[in-house]
Amino acid sequence: MLHIDHLYKNYGKFQAVKDVTLHIPRGDLFGFVGPNGAGKTTTIRMVCGLMLPASGSITINGVDALNHRKELRKQIGYVPDFFGVYDNLKVKEYMDFYGSMYRMSSGEIERISDDLLELVNLSDKKEVFVDTLSRGMKQRLCVARALIHNPALLVLDEPNSGLDPRARVEMKELLLNLKSMGKTIVISSHILSELSEMCNSIGIMDHGNLVAAGRIEDVMDHVFGNDQLIITLEEGRETALRIASEHAKVKVRSAGEHEIRLSHTMTKQEIARMIGTMIAHDVVVTGFHKQEGNLETLFMRVTEGDGGIEGDGGIEGDGGIEGDGGGEGDGGIEGDDGGESNGGKTGKGENKDVAESDC
Amino acid sequence: MWLNPIVKKDVKVQSRSMKICFGVLAYELILALVFFLAMFIIQENSTYYTDNIYSDLVGLYPVLAITQFVILGVIVPVRTASAISGEKERQTFDIMMTTAMTPFSVITGKVMTAIVQSMLFIAASLPIMALSFVVGGMSWSYLFWFFAIALLISIFSASIGILCSSLCKKSVSAVIMSYGFYLIFFIGTLVPIILYEIYSINYWYTGSSVYSGKSYWENVALPLLLNPAVYLAEFVTLVMTGESIWNNSFDMTGVGGPIRFLAGGNRWIITSTILFLAVSFLFLRLAARRIDPVRKSIKKR
Repeated sequence: MLHIDHLYKNYGKFQAVKDVTLHIPRGDLFGFVGPNGAGKTTTIRMVCGLMLPASGSITINGVDALNHRKELRKQIGYVPDFFGVYDNLKVKEYMDFYGSMYRMSSGEIERISDDLLELVNLSDKKEVFVDTLSRGMKQRLCVARALIHNPALLVLDEPNSGLDPRARVEMKELLLNLKSMGKTIVISSHILSELSEMCNSIGIMDHGNLVAAGRIEDVMDHVFGNDQLIITLEEGRETALRIASEHAKVKVRSAGEHEIRLSHTMTKQEIARMIGTMIAHDVVVTGFHKQEGNLETLFMRVTEGDGGIEGDGGIEGDGGIEGDGGGEGDGGIEGDDGGESNGGKTGKGENKDVAESDC
Repeated sequence: MWLNPIVKKDVKVQSRSMKICFGVLAYELILALVFFLAMFIIQENSTYYTDNIYSDLVGLYPVLAITQFVILGVIVPVRTASAISGEKERQTFDIMMTTAMTPFSVITGKVMTAIVQSMLFIAASLPIMALSFVVGGMSWSYLFWFFAIALLISIFSASIGILCSSLCKKSVSAVIMSYGFYLIFFIGTLVPIILYEIYSINYWYTGSSVYSGKSYWENVALPLLLNPAVYLAEFVTLVMTGESIWNNSFDMTGVGGPIRFLAGGNRWIITSTILFLAVSFLFLRLAARRIDPVRKSIKKR
């Protein structure tokens, strides 16, 4: 659906977007996250035809967005972070205005806007002036407006900023509803918990680089790792440490009194055999699990750059994440971390302040 | 028929506002005031011995027409200067640019809105304007020419306002810049003549043999084709006397070149009209280019 290839954008000497490559399949709800100034909005504006890239290509639903702008505009529905209103314009007229911009007939506009207003739960507000609506209602109306021409891709830039909790929930439900209808949606947000509930894939931007992209679970696995194993035990700590460190595919990361953290490249069978060996040597193992994370910790980890995403950016996994020089997934989303390929995210804590303030 | 949605929306939104009512009221009041003042002055200057005092009342027409042109020249840039910058201030501009509307259709929509508004003011002034026809003995065809000139002034003023609106982020800056542009047309086009006269006088004082005692202003008068004041003066003179202002008010003896040609019949006003329309179109294209978010060519890395 959306294919971004090697996208660059400069503001003078400052590179706002560096070699971003991203492929989002049809029907995905893609969350774009990153600290302020990371390049999310710049990327979104380029996708929407509001800005020209320095180089690179954008294809939406098979349309070359940079060379066929007229066609692009039919493919895109854009919801900005701020909802500007016209005084003295009713909700129905607002929809009519934007429908006319796509040269739709008045009958068609009326039929579609009725359906859309029902979808966004504003059917009873048709004759109400737009500037009298609450902010949440305005934002939902803006989504309805963006859908009036049935675009292939809906792009929302920080749609929840400034909304109260109730309005956020309503917006989330609306987006999930649209997702269930098969609409492809790209949403940028700082509210990571909501994104993790809504999105099936994410892209994390930092300093103009797409540092991670793909299905949420795959990005999590890559960053936190299937390869992070935590073993809790009651007795036999030294024996357990010896068995673990003697294993060729295991590296002991830390060892507490009742907990050992390992990084490894073992298969599930090999993990089971190693645990079995420990038990056979009288180690009282009370549990073992792989390290878990959530989107917040993932975001912090990736934007702090403590080793989560390095190298060629290849995040491998079943979710279909493709890295330009790295792993290839099974088809879902491709992410190119080319900008990070030379160790861009190795400076631990370099973005900590920004990342924390955004979260 | 497809009507530019911006015109439809803007006219609807503005007609719901009380501003337009107060605007028309103020416009009518000013015209009424000017009309009665002009009537009073004409009557004061008339005597019982005047053969036909009604012939003097013909003067009401140019007074009312020029008053309206001046008002249009003042209000149209204000209305249009906030057209694009206002959209940016409301943050609706980006949304507009992602729709199927091209930048030029956005610009033409805004200009057409300004013209519709101007025509509303002109139409509202008809009862007062008609008085000058009733008591002034004017031909009704002049009413048509009055509308045509009002339309041209609206287009020209709107194009200046729109261009400035596309250049400025703030509406206030755009309004100020619009008047600056107007000044360039009013005063800037006079600059060549002023400079020429200063140069000539300087020669005269220094006793140069080059200066023959006659000013050859006509050599540098062509920029006046784009001077709105000269344009209006030409229009009024043509209507009142049937002659160009150049033949009517200046000594054209020995004057040759393009001015001599343009002074004949209504050539000056036709040429001037074409130039004003061309400049307006140029301004609109520039404004459209200016608001196009992706106007620059793609640089290859």
